Amino acid sequence: MPRIVREAGITWEGNVARGAGAITAASSGAFSGLSYSAATRIGNPEGKTSPEELLAAAHGGCFTMSLASELTKAGTPPERLDVRCAITMDEVEGKGHQIVHSEIVAHGVAPGCDEAAFAQAAEAADASCPFSALIRASATVTVAASLV
Amino acid sequence: MATDRTATVTWQGSLLEGAGTIHEVGSGAFGPLDVSWASRAEEPNGKTSPEELIAAAHAACFAMALSSGLAQAGTPADRLDTSATVTFQPGQGIIRIALGVRGVVPGIDEAGFAAAAAGAKAGCPVSKALAAVPEITLDAALA
Repeated sequence: MPRIVREAGITWEGNVARGAGAITAASSGAFSGLSYSAATRIGNPEGKTSPEELLAAAHGGCFTMSLASELTKAGTPPERLDVRCAITMDEVEGKGHQIVHSEIVAHGVAPGCDEAAFAQAAEAADASCPFSALIRASATVTVAASLV
Repeated sequence: MATDRTATVTWQGSLLEGAGTIHEVGSGAFGPLDVSWASRAEEPNGKTSPEELIAAAHAACFAMALSSGLAQAGTPADRLDTSATVTFQPGQGIIRIALGVRGVVPGIDEAGFAAAAAGAKAGCPVSKALAAVPEITLDAALA
């Protein structure tokens, strides 16, 4: 399968404390000009996204597709999956800010699949999702899965 | 203090025939955004993908770290334009991220800017989180 390439572009103006940036999805155009700043990244988001929120969307999206794939392979394609991902950044002594944890909670409706098989599919999805593999090298990942 | 950021995703159907939505993020800054396997693996057709979101996260984190480093060095940036290009090889994973930046920074030369950019690439939290990517490249120059 050919390589897949996706690009994003950012404009940042000013210094880090008082400056602000704008984030654009350059490949798809699905979003553009999303503003962000240091204050809203660390403190109250005030309606602004952040790198960590984008990673939560990336990991949630990646895991969800992997789970749909695993359930389909097991002969029980999902009718519906609802997945929530939370990324935690913390200040680690001597190392500054680090992304320390990604928590995934998945709920699904998959006819013919029991709780044990659903949990197994979620485990396999975590193993096969390329983003899980990357983030696990530097942070912890937890996955909780249950049928609705 | 720890900072949590969340996103929720809904998917209906099999991987190849189904479709999903990144329907809400904690900040409310974007969404709903549609996703599908076809638009992830082939032409995006206006739809975002996990790889594009990783590119957005990394380019945004890198820009902020570089802005911080330049200010600490006494040469704050007027403007930074950064980009990240994520390459995903199905079956293998994310194999490369190419970071780029063009900066307008009064009082700095090319070598100083390149050194600041290299520091930001190494130090930004998203770079550290994605340290397992086999290749992360950097192309930095003054505008």
